Amino acid sequence: MGDLFDRAGLIDLADLPDASQDFDVFLREIRDRFGVDHVAYAGMNPINRSVVGHVTYDQDWRAHYAARGFHNIDPTLHSARRSIAPVDWSRLERDLDFLAVFRDAHDFGISDQGVTIPVRGPYGDIGGLSLTRGGSAHEWRALCRENLHLWQSLAVHVHDLVISSDSFSSLLRGPSLSSREREILQWTAEGKSQQDIGDILAISHRTVEVHLRSARHKLYALTTAQAVGRAISMGLVYPG
Amino acid sequence: MILIVDALNRHKFPMVLDQMFRLRARVFAGRLGWDVTITDGREEDQFDALDPAYVIGLDESGNVVACVRALQTTGPHMLSDVFHAILDGEPPLRSATLWESTRFCVDTERLGRGRARGSVSHATSELMLGAVEYAMRSGISDVVTVIDPVMDRVLKRSGNAPYDYVGRTVQMGKVAALAGLLDCTEERAARIREVAGIKGEVFLTDEEALALPAIAAAAPRKSALETYCDEQIAEARNDKERTAALRLKAALSDRIRSHSKVGA
Repeated sequence: MGDLFDRAGLIDLADLPDASQDFDVFLREIRDRFGVDHVAYAGMNPINRSVVGHVTYDQDWRAHYAARGFHNIDPTLHSARRSIAPVDWSRLERDLDFLAVFRDAHDFGISDQGVTIPVRGPYGDIGGLSLTRGGSAHEWRALCRENLHLWQSLAVHVHDLVISSDSFSSLLRGPSLSSREREILQWTAEGKSQQDIGDILAISHRTVEVHLRSARHKLYALTTAQAVGRAISMGLVYPG
Repeated sequence: MILIVDALNRHKFPMVLDQMFRLRARVFAGRLGWDVTITDGREEDQFDALDPAYVIGLDESGNVVACVRALQTTGPHMLSDVFHAILDGEPPLRSATLWESTRFCVDTERLGRGRARGSVSHATSELMLGAVEYAMRSGISDVVTVIDPVMDRVLKRSGNAPYDYVGRTVQMGKVAALAGLLDCTEERAARIREVAGIKGEVFLTDEEALALPAIAAAAPRKSALETYCDEQIAEARNDKERTAALRLKAALSDRIRSHSKVGA
């Protein structure tokens, strides 16, 4: 998991200057990396109730989608987000809303084979990352099985960056590292491996990993190296 | 057998959820004496309003015999908002691939002794297995579980021992509470299966659960009109026919509803 970023071969979204445009770039990278047809993110900021969306769909479908008001009924947005687990679209009820959106989607070459990964933040902010890909159901299931844990992390990563790009929310969401998380980042900055740190602190290396993952999340980092860098720049950890 | 109920399918299983909240009331307020709020014989708290997922153990008739609740640690959850004493004032763990499990309980009145199917021991193991496998299928790598020392011992003898603990054991009213970490891996699932002798798939599909006698019997009786509409929907051969059938049912919804009220 530590090298999710390298394995996924993705750019570091948090380091890019122009957020809104770069979210689209980031989603396109996710699309190409995993070989899916499209990737979409939609999230709601609970403080100003604003809805933010970023998609890889082409302009025609985006215009049609907006003109028909599909964002009001799209079950991949509304139902799927109420689950805590990723929702394969086969689980969504084939009701009038679903059929309305996906009959048109079909005409634009968009498949109803997909998954939405719901995200919940600590302040009631919610979001979802959707990936869709047509073709063999067998291949789709295999793709999901293999990558779901990566998609989970990416979904939360995109969500955190989109929500925190709003200045008031980012104020609320300053990193609150526990002393254990800080301690583990400090040992990491000293060049210790997870196994070493586990031995030093007399905890299992899996516990070290869980704390590191949590620290990465709180620092909006996909890699441990990034997390250490940010923790140092914030004065939470001393350079090794 | 294990049924997953969340915000997407809970409308299909009102009786199952009702039984679950009543079981929680009997266990947590009754047997364990926790400081929980009971309303109309049901134990529900603010986290049940946040669309959690419930992993529910059913017996062969479809009665609830065990349950546990799962929440994402990125959002509001019990360790961050209620059990922070366990963390000694430290901020909670938050991670996309870490879930929190709470309110694990088993119906010791309905179930028998021993280790066979229908025993407390079997239902406990099956629920643990269901929780681990559901998390794995969802791309989750670890679960942090808030438990009491008795449950901690149950986990250990079920092949499901925490690999570590976070925070410390604290006294919460009459009981002690602590938080254990469980990896969601094939190895753990295999150990639980081995100890309990569970083989094969433990999950029920929604359709299989709805066909169980206790659940089927509790389903609201449909009027002839609604039955007709549902048949039309089920028999639709393509999206166009299905849309037409759904529109018909929507157009008749007032009559369907008032009729079924009279019927009930």
